[in-house]
Amino acid sequence: MSAHEPQAAFKTRAAAALHDPILKIAVERTAGTAEAKRAVAVEAFPDFEAARTRAAAIKDHVVANLGHYLEQFEANAVAAGAVVHWARTSQEACDIVIGLCRQAGAKSVARSKSMLGEEIGLPHALAEAGIARVETDLAEHIIQLSGERPSHIIWPAMHKTREQVSELFRRSHRDPHAEETIAAMAESARRHLREGMLSADVGISGANFLVADSGAVCTVTNEGNAELSLVPPRLQIVTAGIEKIVPSMGHAVHLLRLLARSATGAALTQYTTFYTGPKRESDRDGPEEMHIVLVDNGRTAMREEGLAEMLRCIRCGACMNHCVVFRQIGGHAYGGTYPGPMGAVLTPAIDGLAKTRDLPNACTLNGKCQEVCPVNIPLPTLLRGWREKSWREGLEPKATRAGIDLWAWFAQRPKLYRAATATALKSLRAMGRGGWLRKVPMAGGWTRYRDLPKPAAESFMAQYRKGRRR
Amino acid sequence: MSAREAILSRLTGKTPAEVIRAEAAALLLAPERPAVDPAQVEAVFAERLAVPSVAASYERVADWTALPETVRRYFAEQGIPPVLCLPPDPRLRALDWSGFTLHDSAAPDELAVLAVARLGVAETGSLVFETSPEAPMLPNFLALHHLVVVPEVVAQLEEAALPGAQPRAHYWVTGVSGTTDIEGTYVRGAHGPRFLHVIRLAG
Repeated sequence: MSAHEPQAAFKTRAAAALHDPILKIAVERTAGTAEAKRAVAVEAFPDFEAARTRAAAIKDHVVANLGHYLEQFEANAVAAGAVVHWARTSQEACDIVIGLCRQAGAKSVARSKSMLGEEIGLPHALAEAGIARVETDLAEHIIQLSGERPSHIIWPAMHKTREQVSELFRRSHRDPHAEETIAAMAESARRHLREGMLSADVGISGANFLVADSGAVCTVTNEGNAELSLVPPRLQIVTAGIEKIVPSMGHAVHLLRLLARSATGAALTQYTTFYTGPKRESDRDGPEEMHIVLVDNGRTAMREEGLAEMLRCIRCGACMNHCVVFRQIGGHAYGGTYPGPMGAVLTPAIDGLAKTRDLPNACTLNGKCQEVCPVNIPLPTLLRGWREKSWREGLEPKATRAGIDLWAWFAQRPKLYRAATATALKSLRAMGRGGWLRKVPMAGGWTRYRDLPKPAAESFMAQYRKGRRR
Repeated sequence: MSAREAILSRLTGKTPAEVIRAEAAALLLAPERPAVDPAQVEAVFAERLAVPSVAASYERVADWTALPETVRRYFAEQGIPPVLCLPPDPRLRALDWSGFTLHDSAAPDELAVLAVARLGVAETGSLVFETSPEAPMLPNFLALHHLVVVPEVVAQLEEAALPGAQPRAHYWVTGVSGTTDIEGTYVRGAHGPRFLHVIRLAG
């Protein structure tokens, strides 16, 4: 279960987002840039389609043999001096992390952005335990200051404009920026965060990859904040989903090539680090202890219940950058840890379908998300799967069920269906003005924002019978 | 049942380890990747260092002994006082650094560090480092100017792997500390280096 559960109904949140003019501008600025940069990078890559087929095959191979690889990873990480912990649920994972922090007498932790950390509710657990948290990723720092949650998995503060960030920094930084430029704001955060990173007792991160044949944990960042968070403290803690395993560094290299290109359009992130155990005896820096928490939190169930393909996800964010719905409503409206198409598949698995059944419906099924996914996850198919399950389990509202039952009753009686269609066409045409329908009874949700074209005088079937259509 | 047993009991299959190994190896045959002409490795490396997402400056010097003068010139151009964070790498420490004030652990506001990468990678313009008693990691992330000596360049990322027992950290630096977290606008020097200067040893 996610520690963050939707507070209001999805439709309420989505309506609020649609009415927020600043949000639309902010989302467009970042997602639009990401879309354009990805397109250039993919075009320049030799046979991206074959590369993503291979990437999908690597992830499928790992998921099919997950037990084997987890045991291999554990043995190698332990041999390198790390301590490996296992957590079935988010609660177990947080308890392990808080226990380790308390054991170390930690007063503050430096945290490098991790979506798994958000998924298990780690920020909240640290706050409850009275442990200060320094979010070191610039975007996470912004949303920590504003008391919000991430709205995107790569750009968690995507919903903020520069003007809003400026105001936050002026209110919170000791020595804020003098000029109203993005560079000056970033410099202000650099000054503000450095002390917190260097004085933290514990460094916590997620993992982009867990390398089975060496026991290494791989993190990627563009800011270098993972390294600045994980090298100085005495204790390093990694929380990672069990699906993050890759057989070897070679497999990680293939996925890294696709990850950066899909996320930001770069050939590689600026800093890619493989940590294998704690510091060696005569090393000059690095933590005395390294702990790795392997988190299930519903992943074994996803593997067993028809969602194994979702475990391919490498968290690049391309699906949301290209999603027409996400681009309109941003990430917060989705209500879970993970927004956009991948979130609409994952959130019902993490938080339960009963509370999240609107998410798989917030999709036009245009297929763009699968088209850009670097591991070719059939997101539209998985979303349809949730819709079907929602129907089977009787979770759809009564009015929807009654409407579809009524339609099915007519559809099974072709003569009656055609007569009803002909009547409906006549009525709709009578309501039309100048080729458009501006208002239609019981379709206010549609016509409030747009007009419907006036239908043809006869249905397709009627025209077909008269030989006018073939 | 422990959490470990509970998770593994649902994941452990019957496929023999050698079959899994063979499948994994087959998945790496002939990978799709940007081609690097073996005759042009050096040129491609220099080109990649210049792309906007890496944006490193680059020069070639004859050998190790040229480093102090190279660093002196770079400092003068950038207006940096002659105070240098120099790791305890015997190849660097053996050189004549007269005129510089040296120290081997980085201050929180360190201006410049000189470090040795084991390799450069032409495919991406990456610099490959490993931690050791002679090679601390933190200075490479704290300093504003990151100067890196590159004794060898390979073509592809796959060649960056270090065989055998792994050090505490093996890391690739592909540019400077950057961020696009505010409105997708790229800013250099988010937390760590704002400038990356690559010094290729030609000899």
